[in-house]
Amino acid sequence: MTDLQWGRLSNDAFNVALFAYVAAMVGYFAYLAFRRDTLWLLARTVALVGLGANVVAVVSRAFAAHRVPWGNMYEYSILLALLVVAGYLLIVEGFYKVRTLGGFALMFAVFTMAIAVSFLYVDPLPLVPALNSYWIKIHVVAAISGSSLFALGGGVLTTLFLIQDRRERRQLAVLRSQDPPPIMGGSLDMDAPPDFAADADEPPAVSGVRRGFLPAAATLDVMAYRVIAFAFPIWTFAVIAGAIWAQEAWGRYWGWDPKETWSFITWVIYAGYLHARSTSGWKGRPAAAVALVGFVSLLITYYVVNLWIVGLHSYAGI
Amino acid sequence: MPSSRVTLRQSLALVWRTLRSMRTALILLLMLALASVAGSLVPQLPNSPERVIRYQLDHPLVGALYGRLGLFDVYGSWWFVLITTLLFVSLVACLLPRTRALIRTLRQRPVQAREIDGFRLYQERVVPADPARAIDGSRRVLRRRLFRVARDGDGRAALAAEKGALREIGSLLFHWAFLLIVAGVIYGKGTGFTGRVVVIEGKTWVDAQANYDGQIRAGRFFNGDFTGTGIHLRGFEDTYRRTGQPMDFVSHVDLLDPEGNLVRRADIRVNHPASIDGLGIYQYGFGWAPVVEVRRDGELIAAEPLTFVQDTAPEGVPQLAMPWHGVLKLPSTDPQLGIQLELWPDSRAFLQQLQTGQPVAMIQAFEPFMRFAVFRGELTDLSQLSLDTSVMRAGTRGIVGAGTTVDLRTGKPVEDGQAPTGQAPSRLTIAFPELRQYSVLQVSRDRGVPLVLLAAILVLIGLLPALYTSRRKVWVRAEPNGSGTILKVGGFALQRKTQFEQEFAKLVDAMARAADAPAAKERERVDSL
Repeated sequence: MTDLQWGRLSNDAFNVALFAYVAAMVGYFAYLAFRRDTLWLLARTVALVGLGANVVAVVSRAFAAHRVPWGNMYEYSILLALLVVAGYLLIVEGFYKVRTLGGFALMFAVFTMAIAVSFLYVDPLPLVPALNSYWIKIHVVAAISGSSLFALGGGVLTTLFLIQDRRERRQLAVLRSQDPPPIMGGSLDMDAPPDFAADADEPPAVSGVRRGFLPAAATLDVMAYRVIAFAFPIWTFAVIAGAIWAQEAWGRYWGWDPKETWSFITWVIYAGYLHARSTSGWKGRPAAAVALVGFVSLLITYYVVNLWIVGLHSYAGI
Repeated sequence: MPSSRVTLRQSLALVWRTLRSMRTALILLLMLALASVAGSLVPQLPNSPERVIRYQLDHPLVGALYGRLGLFDVYGSWWFVLITTLLFVSLVACLLPRTRALIRTLRQRPVQAREIDGFRLYQERVVPADPARAIDGSRRVLRRRLFRVARDGDGRAALAAEKGALREIGSLLFHWAFLLIVAGVIYGKGTGFTGRVVVIEGKTWVDAQANYDGQIRAGRFFNGDFTGTGIHLRGFEDTYRRTGQPMDFVSHVDLLDPEGNLVRRADIRVNHPASIDGLGIYQYGFGWAPVVEVRRDGELIAAEPLTFVQDTAPEGVPQLAMPWHGVLKLPSTDPQLGIQLELWPDSRAFLQQLQTGQPVAMIQAFEPFMRFAVFRGELTDLSQLSLDTSVMRAGTRGIVGAGTTVDLRTGKPVEDGQAPTGQAPSRLTIAFPELRQYSVLQVSRDRGVPLVLLAAILVLIGLLPALYTSRRKVWVRAEPNGSGTILKVGGFALQRKTQFEQEFAKLVDAMARAADAPAAKERERVDSL
């Protein structure tokens, strides 16, 4: 196949993936509403078809441009969507056996891809010399995996936690007004050091309220924490790999370029989040607020820095 | 000891306590993030001085305020340094006691429990072996799973076991490594420097203070130890696709030792630097360097390649469509002469632009030519790139193409071989025999890089156990129960409690089995962490 045909194949596969994601998103939301296993199976199948098409879109793009398929924001976006959907199917559905969050994860993917095709599209071209380095493989893969996991943990799961938490609080308030307050069990951890509120990753005692379609708020809270804790070292590695690349390309590993600065800010926020959780015992809503701030910072690192702030990473264009 | 006066000692203790607290560290971290936000929104002097100047011209009042606050150089401002310093002092204040505590725990034997059945997890098993053998079996099981195990000191059949010190070790490694990064940054940036170098094809540049183009940016402890290393530019190539997208920029260089002997050849590209004697050499930019010869009555008075520069292209015009400018100064003539030159490397692009009015990118040289304007009078400024024409008289204008010679007084071409006539005043000609390129290289030295890289690797190594391992404690007691033994096991995990429930159940099963099995034969599956 010629480069042009590969490029067309990529665009076709992109369209298939986007439509499949939209359909799967609708299917997942329908599953939330009606709770039919058939709906879930259907939505999941369509999501898998979309995922397959997404893979084709990414791979054929690589053949069209003769390079790694993450040379500009359009390609980065479709890869991000791919990883968020794959991460959702693997971690949330595969590992946690939670089926109800698919619509939200797919919504993120749909938005990312829609923005990509409407505002960021460029024809597949070979890399400009500034990007032509083997570090693009390492740095960008790490950055994209880290950011898709942050998007899943700090964005999707945290938002869902806040929704569910609000709902549970309301129900709890209703319960409290009817009955005497439930007795909460104390901790039996006698040896826990005082500065180590050791159960940062544990759900608290069961609150005994009707949960609705989402998993319990406490479960969502822990899921968000786990995904963020998983993303953090990957992001750290991405920043380090970026610094190594910067040393090779520009002769300095750190120069406070806007991209570097914002990836550092994102890193600092999530470092603060992990500290607050594991050593100061924050959880629930205050922790979620920090996670959301981190997610906003991630979005700035990705969209605002590339599109509006002038810096060394601007040469990549969109 | 009631005292309303706060002693120095007490206030120091208060400061130390405040610095030690996690809250202080988190607030400082947040301030660092906020300062960085400011630094990314306001243009920064070290990164883009021209944008800072434009900002100050556009917003004189706000600009002056920002300048006073150090917002144009956030990362070099006193308050940024203060925040960073406080953060690291706070970090050390947190780390010292934690490190001491860790060493203490690692030295100590796990402590026996008084009440075993009060723990979060607790199980009892009845096994046929006697208590001593049962406890031996449990000890083997725990040790095989990398628990640190201590027998009861009073001779009772009891064990205390711990696992997961790696979490704290990793966490401490992660945090201490940041101090190593700071040390590497201060050492590397402090003793290092970075500067720009212009080398024309066929010329050699030598590493010495005076040979840098403009100011070098040197660290505080830089002591001027330039190496004398040479860079000889054999050739420069810039290649483009038909769309005008750049494909490759490469400087073919010979790297020379201070005596001028060839050390090795190298191709310097974007992303592919060369290094010699601790210097990193990076491709930074390039430009045209036409060779201009001026003859007075046939005798050469100037024959140098001149570095030409471009004006920044206006919006919508490709940078490569812009012509290149240079200046030639002839101080030995009377009156002195200054010649402004405008180079069009691709004459086709020039013609096309004339016909269509559309700017055309000049991505390669094709029958290049220069327009020139002669000025007579006194040369007042020494700059190689500009000509102060305020005290000079404008003279001839003309065009000189590659390979041709033009009379500077008439602006008319001179036929080759035409003998210079002896008329007075003497005759001046300008020739354009050759068009070369020059390469702009960035030369920098940072001896701290290996240290910072090592520290970054330590950060990653420390991070993984700090996030993903958990501390677990287990106690075992064996009490006689008829002919056999009742094995009591209690325990808890400080993190990942749900996972530990499964691990604990398996542990108790293994202990019950090991109580009967003879030590040598036992084949235990070692569970993963």
